[in-house]
Amino acid sequence: MSTTEKATQKVTLQSNDGSKIEVDRCVAERSMLIKNLIEDLGDESIANAPIPIPNVNDPVLRKVVEWCEHHRNDPPQSQEEENDNRKKTTDIEEWDQKFMQVDQEMLFEIILAANYLDIKALLDVGCKTVANMIKGKSPEEIRKTFNITNDFTPEEEEQIRRENEWAEDR
Amino acid sequence: LADLLNLCNSQQLSYVHQFVSPLLKKDPFTSLPDELCLRILSFIDDPKVLARASQVSRRWRDLLSDDITWKNLCVKHDYQRRMSEVQSSSQIPAAPRLGVFAFGQHQDGDLATRSFPGALTSNAVAMAGSLNFEGSTSHTYNPRPRLKSYKSHFKQRYLVDAAWKTGGRKTTRNITQDGGVVTSLHLTPKYIIVALDNAKIHVFDTEGNAQRTLQGHVMGVWAMVPWEDILVSGGCDRDVRVWDLTTGQCLHTLRGHTSTVRCLKMSDANTAISGSRDTTLRVWDIRTGLCKNVLVGHQASVRCLEIKGDIVVSGSYDTTAKVWSISEGRCLHTLQGHYSQIYAIAFDGHRVATGSLDTSVRIWNAATGECLAFLQGHTSLVGQLQMRGGTLVTGGSDGSVRVWSLEKFCPIHRLAAHDNSVTSLQFDDTRIVSGGSDGRVKVWDLKTGQLVRELIAQGEAVWRVAFEDEKCIAMALRNGRTIMEVWSFSPPEDVL
Repeated sequence: MSTTEKATQKVTLQSNDGSKIEVDRCVAERSMLIKNLIEDLGDESIANAPIPIPNVNDPVLRKVVEWCEHHRNDPPQSQEEENDNRKKTTDIEEWDQKFMQVDQEMLFEIILAANYLDIKALLDVGCKTVANMIKGKSPEEIRKTFNITNDFTPEEEEQIRRENEWAEDR
Repeated sequence: LADLLNLCNSQQLSYVHQFVSPLLKKDPFTSLPDELCLRILSFIDDPKVLARASQVSRRWRDLLSDDITWKNLCVKHDYQRRMSEVQSSSQIPAAPRLGVFAFGQHQDGDLATRSFPGALTSNAVAMAGSLNFEGSTSHTYNPRPRLKSYKSHFKQRYLVDAAWKTGGRKTTRNITQDGGVVTSLHLTPKYIIVALDNAKIHVFDTEGNAQRTLQGHVMGVWAMVPWEDILVSGGCDRDVRVWDLTTGQCLHTLRGHTSTVRCLKMSDANTAISGSRDTTLRVWDIRTGLCKNVLVGHQASVRCLEIKGDIVVSGSYDTTAKVWSISEGRCLHTLQGHYSQIYAIAFDGHRVATGSLDTSVRIWNAATGECLAFLQGHTSLVGQLQMRGGTLVTGGSDGSVRVWSLEKFCPIHRLAAHDNSVTSLQFDDTRIVSGGSDGRVKVWDLKTGQLVRELIAQGEAVWRVAFEDEKCIAMALRNGRTIMEVWSFSPPEDVL
């Protein structure tokens, strides 16, 4: 098989709720987990049977596939670049920003799926999205954003506020 | 459900919205495993955000006390490299020019648990690169107990950085009632030492409290070098004097030079080397008070010198620099190329940098004597020079401070620093401090070349500046008097 043939070879992914999604092999291989799996099982195996993705349900898997389709031609990230990116702040490209405009449940599911499927770039986009939701907010605003109950006693709250005063603008 | 919602009026929909929207919200830090939570936090590089986040709930507080997050932040802020945090705060006597060796003494078990992985090597390298250069190269101890976690380490460094930018405490002291010229300033872990052209040497503790005045020279003191509790000085009276800083006693008067002593450095606790207007360098055993060798060869005044191991390099008004073996007492190389007097020299053991009245800077290979680079840009005398790691910073009578890469031999920043001459400069991994005859002291960001702050903006002239991690000293002329400003950037004890 030529490289191009391989890239467009069809792969079927099966979510944990049984639905099947057919994608090009190069799209599926954005996931290092799937890439390694195909390498281990051989080219023929994928033609015959769907690849089970036991940790991911259908809506989330479709979302992840959508991302992989869009980023199918991205150059692979080198280790060095990855380290650089992590040093950088939370810039997210426009398409990814829109892609991440989902409810929080879905956002966290995508992060979990990206982690499980080993798609570093998607994982980082997800984590950056959450980081951006935390930035620039007071503790109370953060609680509102994520519907978190303040479980500190007033005394504890005052103490922890004082402990963290140093980082406030001076 | 869609049909049902279609039947609702806006008031009802608003109610539904209020009811539903919190249900769609979820705490990411209870939904995700720790590993992913910390990954999210690794994308935040503002400590304020992290500090606020830790006040959200117990779960958030616990996650944010994870030291990995603060370690990342330390790395992002380049807070891992300072010597002082790795050094202990303890009683080990100061060896300001012996960082690498002193450092070895601190490699106790505790170090491994609290310092940065890899910090040992990089620090040792950084120290090696910064030894023995013009200006004060003294490294401080932290006067505080050793910090334990990355979070407290970060906090400490962050507060010091913030103080450098906008805070700090300043004390000003009059040194003379008239305007004596400060010829030399050293900041060591124990002392601030100031030499003047009125023959006096003033010794202060590091807070700036006067301890004693060393009197003995009969004319201006033009060069001095401290080594722990010993000070060696020289000047117009041609004598080199050895002092005990703890008592103020003059231990030896070393005679031999036939003209002004213009530069002085020490190669070890027993050996001082002086350079003079009589064209020679003399190697002294300061314990016995004997002259071990006279290095003859320059044709004019020896203006500057620098020592590394067994090698001393000297710059002269005869336009050349020379590389000498101290033990053999002979000249190994003569560095020829400048068209005019050499005023400043730096040496890292491999490369020699020279600054000249011909406005250029040259970099030389000390082992071969070959000229590696010819750096142009200054438009007047280059009188200030410091080398550290792969970076060279120069200051000139044209008022500019220039930052150069020693890897590519190219300019990195050109700072329009002072209206008149740059009289003094020093830099470390983070910042450059420059003083000028325009009476200003400026702090610059080494990486960006941006002006961070002016520490002194008024005054007639700044003679000398010296700094370390949390302290900066400036000697200046103000209202006709010589004054000393001592800045401290240490966070108050109760904040830490």
